[in-house]
Amino acid sequence: MSSSRDGANADAGADGPASDRFEEDVLALMPALRRYSRSLVRSDPDGEDLLQDCVEKVLARRAQWRGVNLRAWAFTIMTNLSRNRHRHTALHPQVELDDDLGLQVETRESDPLERSRLERALNGLSAENRSVLMLVVIEGYRYQDVADMLAIPIGTVMSRLSRARHQLAEAMKDDNVISMRRPK
Amino acid sequence: MTDELNTVSDDDLHAYVDGFLSEADRARVEQWLERNPARTEEVRQWQGQATELRAMFSTYARSDERDRALLSAASGRQAAPPSGNRWNAGLGGRIAAGLLLFAAGAFTGLYAPDILAPGRPEQLAQVGESLPRQAQSAFLIYASEVRHAVEVGPDQQTHLATWLGKRLDHPLNIPDLSKLGFSLVGGRLLPVNGKAGALFMYEDASGQRLTVLLGRNPDNRETSFRIDNSGGVETFYWIDGPIGYAVTGEVPRALLQKVADECYRQFESARETKS
Repeated sequence: MSSSRDGANADAGADGPASDRFEEDVLALMPALRRYSRSLVRSDPDGEDLLQDCVEKVLARRAQWRGVNLRAWAFTIMTNLSRNRHRHTALHPQVELDDDLGLQVETRESDPLERSRLERALNGLSAENRSVLMLVVIEGYRYQDVADMLAIPIGTVMSRLSRARHQLAEAMKDDNVISMRRPK
Repeated sequence: MTDELNTVSDDDLHAYVDGFLSEADRARVEQWLERNPARTEEVRQWQGQATELRAMFSTYARSDERDRALLSAASGRQAAPPSGNRWNAGLGGRIAAGLLLFAAGAFTGLYAPDILAPGRPEQLAQVGESLPRQAQSAFLIYASEVRHAVEVGPDQQTHLATWLGKRLDHPLNIPDLSKLGFSLVGGRLLPVNGKAGALFMYEDASGQRLTVLLGRNPDNRETSFRIDNSGGVETFYWIDGPIGYAVTGEVPRALLQKVADECYRQFESARETKS
């Protein structure tokens, strides 16, 4: 058995209540983790896969957690995992087909065409730019928080955010020209 | 014209869109935007993106009834020590993989005798050249694996060294990179230059990984340190008699060089103490 004797949880006898509480905390984070994970990848199955990898890693590293802000810590781990995967799929792009299976299944209050175009534009972003955009826009982290989480200077956060926004706008614009001519 | 023209930066515009400005700064940016229709259009696009993105992923922020099972499965996997059965299963798997490789070899040998004709010098040179390529593929394939990155974990270091040393037919020590902030994730057997090779994987506290690959070197020569970069993946490699070494990662070159130096030093000193 792996001996868990970290001083931080000294009040708990061996690996009893303390580890349970940790798992409860992770459980409470699952919705946030699920959303963030899906926002980083191309398809629902990829999102669930990344989520599982992340949960596994978070549990494996619980001894390294400093006891503050579990959410940010888990998000950092997720971001690193997604970057590894992204690089892997970029070099071995066999999952390209997932593209169209992606989002249409879900929500549809807004124009579905618009949404699938945005989804496509998102998939054109680099993993680095995409994760910064999502951490700010969807997860609501401040720029300095993102810099701390990813261990990069705040200037890099700003340039990644800016690049992501410009690239999305550009992609949507290009798409526009095509889709306005296509009907009729 | 006015001072305000110079007081609104791109960063301000992002902060405006993201709602991070104070009341006063907000007003200042809005006034400025009134006089800059092109930027106003851009800011509108960013706001539109943000709204759309939030709507797009909001439905995923939910619990799932399988979450608890997922968690306990994940923690169970870590708690359970590798049992005898699991070990045997791994061995079986390796034998199966070996047979497959053998079958593939026989197949290609049958249909492409010319390409695989062994012993031609230029062929050997190519094999030597491809050490960094093989190291990079191994890095790309295994570093992104979370659950099956290695066959044998760090808790069985001695076994790992003996086992891989035997397969490589070369006594083997596993470098300790903790001074540089990297701890051992584990190791695996894999083909290098068509023979059994060894891969060790390391990881720092943030999950950044690197790999150390050892393979038999077909043409018994020696080289100095060399470096190879492919798509951001950096490899330091060197050949020392019968064995080729390659250290691969996606970390700054200076750090990777330190790792390579350290590995070289430790492999050397182990060899000297043995002989």
